[in-house]
Amino acid sequence: MNKVGKVWTGLILPVAIIILWYLATTFGTMPASILPDLRMVGRAFAEMIAAGQLQKDLLISLGRVIKGFLASAVVGIFLGSLMGMSQKLKEMILPTVTAIRQIPMVAWIPLIILWAGIGEKSKVIIIMIAAVFPILVNTLSGISSTQEGYVEVARLYKLNRWETFTKVYLPHALPQILVGLKLGLGVSWMAVVASELIAASTGIGYRMNEARSLMKSDKVIVCMIVIGLIGIMMDKLISIVFDRLTPWIQLQKTGGSGSQS
Amino acid sequence: MGNITKLSKKVQSSKDCIIHVEHLNKQFIVDKQPIDVLKDINLQVKKGEFVTIVGHSGCGKSTLLKIICGLVDYEDGIVERNGHAVVGPGPKCGMVFQDHRLLPWLKIKDNVGFGLRDLPEEEREEQVRRHLELVGLEDFANSYPSQLSGGMSQRAAIARGLAGNPTILLLDEPFGALDALTRIKLQKEILQIQEKKGTTMVMVTHDIDEAIYLGDRIVVMSARPGEIKEIIETDPVESRNRSSVTFARYKKKIYDYFFEDSNEKYEMGYAI
Repeated sequence: MNKVGKVWTGLILPVAIIILWYLATTFGTMPASILPDLRMVGRAFAEMIAAGQLQKDLLISLGRVIKGFLASAVVGIFLGSLMGMSQKLKEMILPTVTAIRQIPMVAWIPLIILWAGIGEKSKVIIIMIAAVFPILVNTLSGISSTQEGYVEVARLYKLNRWETFTKVYLPHALPQILVGLKLGLGVSWMAVVASELIAASTGIGYRMNEARSLMKSDKVIVCMIVIGLIGIMMDKLISIVFDRLTPWIQLQKTGGSGSQS
Repeated sequence: MGNITKLSKKVQSSKDCIIHVEHLNKQFIVDKQPIDVLKDINLQVKKGEFVTIVGHSGCGKSTLLKIICGLVDYEDGIVERNGHAVVGPGPKCGMVFQDHRLLPWLKIKDNVGFGLRDLPEEEREEQVRRHLELVGLEDFANSYPSQLSGGMSQRAAIARGLAGNPTILLLDEPFGALDALTRIKLQKEILQIQEKKGTTMVMVTHDIDEAIYLGDRIVVMSARPGEIKEIIETDPVESRNRSSVTFARYKKKIYDYFFEDSNEKYEMGYAI
């Protein structure tokens, strides 16, 4: 299947959802304040754009996501690599990480607000806490699953520890780090909206909460759709960057059945 | 012409010994129990020689190779390469593994040049090009390992092993995972390569035919503990002719070592 065909296949479900939505609002009995119809949402979107509010909120939230996500990527990849390279460190840190990971991200919010206030810092910290674990765990698993045979080749050619890391462990782990980053990105959006719902005066999560209290469900839906669209764009961006970084993975996939993109 | 070089090796004196193993013992600890892996190994390999080591899987032959290479430590005995005790891997000793171990994320040319990072770029490229040519992979320099067949991957691994121009190349069942036809083709090629480069080669194999065909000398090893039962010096002409009577005789001799206790005695007739 060619690339255009694949994009169309991916659009079948959203189109179906829109049709269902249309049918529900046209023939259903739900009040418009609960489930607005397509036109209302379109109008709300146009209004919010025209007022400049949507762009402003989005930019603020996006800024928080990028800051928190980048910080968690740096920390997660760094710690995951260290733990993957050193059995001792892994044994020392992993149980604590596993325990902390079980605490839901929203459970951190009260404490973080107490510590860092309701300003910019607390949002970034919450995103970081949420996104760091999928990145760390996937990096760790990618690094520590490196085959002994490859490491032996590194020993044969007398690579030092740093060279062994950059030339053997890291490239081996890259595909899995990508998985971690994608998961982390999804969680970042979750975290930013959650933190803004609870304590904020700006951002897209705050806007949603405000719209809800005014019974403006059309605005809520606009925000949700926009988050989804930005999310998929950032996900694609990571994929594109990583396809550039890992050309051999594409070949391994197409070497088999040649069906995956 | 291969026969002439092969004959001339035998008149070299013992100081041409490039690998020297004396009273080597090696134990592994498995479940807190010491297991004898190698017992009193004595082996001298002359410069330019092709020695094959044949034995059951698990007889310690791969361990012996890795000790010579410096990838596995030894505590008891003498192991020397080029007259110096082995303390670790070195650039003058290449190694080829059964699972080619090309790094999937590097192009073939970068895999072949993997051990040459200290060379200036131009020189490295030249070495890589020459060795890709040597194994007939010059058109695949920019391919990734996943695009190569098993035989081609093993050729690339040989090129990597030779790229630093080592004096010794150790081969750990390099053709074990290949189909029979590819294997025979690569056996021929490795002989040609050895002739061209004059590299001393030690190959571990469980294929008796391969051991006879390639080896100037065949080291027959028993399992648990890994001991050298005999070292057979082969006739340089006859051993390269798989259908000769001498070849069959070597085969029977080796076969009998492995199955001396069973009634599976090798029938000489069927190979001839």
